[in-house]
Amino acid sequence: MKIARLIVLSVVLTCPSFAAYPQGKPAPKDALLYFVWPQNGTTIKGGFWCRFGLRNMGVTHAGDNFKNSGHHHLLVDVNDPLEPNEPIPQDKSHLHFGAGQTEARIELPPGKHTLQLVLGDAEHYPFKPPVVSEKITVTIR
Amino acid sequence: MAEIRDFKSGRSGEPPREPAPRRLAAIVAGDIAGYSRLMQIDEEGTHNRVKRIERDLIEPSIIEHHGKLVKTTGDGFIAIFDSPVEAVRCSIVIQQNLVGRNASLPTHHWIEYRIGVNLGDVIVEVDDVYGDGVNIASRLEGIADPGQVYISGGIYEQIKHKLVCGYESLGDRKVKNITDPVRVYRVLPDPAAFHRTRKRRENVLIFLLSLTLLIIAGGVLWYMLLQPYGKVGDQASTSVSPPAEQPRAPTLPAPAVKQTAPQPPPAPAQAPAQQQAAPQPQPPPAAKQGEPLPQSASPVAPATSPKTPPASPVREPEMSTLRGGQFAMGGNEEISEKPVHQVTIKPFAIGKFPVSVREWNECAAAKACGFTASGKDEAPITNVSWSDARQYVAWLAEATRKPYRLPTEAEWEYAARGGTQTRYWWGDQFQSGMANCKNCTDIAATEQPTKVGSSKPNPFGLYDMGGGVDQWVEDCWHKNYQGAPADGSAWVESECASHVIRSGSWKNDARYARPSNRDSYDTNVRYPTHGFRVALSP
Repeated sequence: MKIARLIVLSVVLTCPSFAAYPQGKPAPKDALLYFVWPQNGTTIKGGFWCRFGLRNMGVTHAGDNFKNSGHHHLLVDVNDPLEPNEPIPQDKSHLHFGAGQTEARIELPPGKHTLQLVLGDAEHYPFKPPVVSEKITVTIR
Repeated sequence: MAEIRDFKSGRSGEPPREPAPRRLAAIVAGDIAGYSRLMQIDEEGTHNRVKRIERDLIEPSIIEHHGKLVKTTGDGFIAIFDSPVEAVRCSIVIQQNLVGRNASLPTHHWIEYRIGVNLGDVIVEVDDVYGDGVNIASRLEGIADPGQVYISGGIYEQIKHKLVCGYESLGDRKVKNITDPVRVYRVLPDPAAFHRTRKRRENVLIFLLSLTLLIIAGGVLWYMLLQPYGKVGDQASTSVSPPAEQPRAPTLPAPAVKQTAPQPPPAPAQAPAQQQAAPQPQPPPAAKQGEPLPQSASPVAPATSPKTPPASPVREPEMSTLRGGQFAMGGNEEISEKPVHQVTIKPFAIGKFPVSVREWNECAAAKACGFTASGKDEAPITNVSWSDARQYVAWLAEATRKPYRLPTEAEWEYAARGGTQTRYWWGDQFQSGMANCKNCTDIAATEQPTKVGSSKPNPFGLYDMGGGVDQWVEDCWHKNYQGAPADGSAWVESECASHVIRSGSWKNDARYARPSNRDSYDTNVRYPTHGFRVALSP
């Protein structure tokens, strides 16, 4: 009897791995999203390669539903708060890197700009809790 | 604010000039750690996964970094690059992507590459390279740990101040069959990692040790518990692997759920096992909606039928024929729309509406499109990649024997302008109710995307040309119109990582609904606001 109960329990425990969780997938607590380059306060001349760093999670193609992995989104001059229950918007200030890119050539007009990274899951939803980088400011000369 | 662009792809894929016999090149050699072990565990699965990794990750990454894939062997590849920086970048991208791909698999199924990069004077032939330089690259790869990139001193000298990475010197190493010792560096993709590695290594060791113990303990427990119930145990354990071998499956959550839903409670364990029994590599995106076929027979039945449908009549999208002519393409509002240039459009027909869910699902039912869409029949199909859209038009052309295709970017803008040169087709000022964009209509967010054709048609009688859903066109993304064709043809290269989307969606503001507005998105990635409409050559 006890064994049977344990079996049921273990089956139940393994089941969640098959369930297609729709959105807001859990992220490990120690996940860290950051800019390898540029650093906060950097002054840059012209276009630059922006490099994305991610620790304790993996980068994958959008649509691939692997655990603890997602793809990068670069938010440029975005002031609206992140909507946790909506897919990360797609427009000219929300750049998507769904092919699993870990760097991108960015060109911005001269002036001060903010940059922030957000990790999205297979369906472009933010993780729970959201995996976001510090919002940095760069100056383009 | 919108002059933000990234040109990921650049012009790539151009064949190398004259095949010079000798040249200096950065050679990247990669191979899979423990390939024969993986093949032993699961020959076909491993082979398929490796092929997929080569096709989806390695080849595109090499092209993106302006390299050339020289050859692939069963378990590895050799590529050459003009630039050491690009070679190392490419290697890092491949390694980081693999981390993600492996993340959800049990350790013994991990496909991990070891990569070595060397700079050398080599003999390049069409399908191979020769020389010491190549041998050293493969020796470096041989001593690299799985998941690592090792570079030679020559590469290090070239990139040390250019690529923001950490490098850990491993000293001079004697490698097989090479007289002089080779200076070896390990690449740490992130510079801060350098100082941490030491400490982290110990931590990782302890962590791994405890993890292994935990896994062993778990395994023993599992084994002991399930011993008397051999059957159940078998099923449960086989069901763990299928999602791993078919990483595409989770991209189609809706059909997957549909398939498991009607089954009795233990279904999650059974369904994948059933899938495995069917020799089909693609999980059935099947389970046609509302089709009264008995479910139990389906895993085999659809396998025999996919090629039959062309005879049956297909619902063709409603088309409008346009005469064509000359128009000024582009605008002055954003850099990407400049320069404004004259384009001549030949006569063609274009869909009056974006392709609907009902139309898409006919393609899905014919097994020619990747997934069955849920959602109302009248709604535009969404969450399709450019490749998905191409699959649909290819199927439609085949089924109707008419040259259906995606519109070119020029054709799309010509059609969207409806003969006008104003900011919007109805004038220079925005008017509410004319386009389905963010804060433009009273449509409730929950009802989006609404049925096709819910706003007014433009002067050409076309609906949703601006707002509604973003629409893929045939053209590769170019950051502006410098060098764009003037004959209305699609502006394409052989390989492009991103394509153009037009129209803006219900989630974008009114500026995106302008006919000259353009944006780009990764070719193979789906997004919930992206759809398309079809075009037809006369």
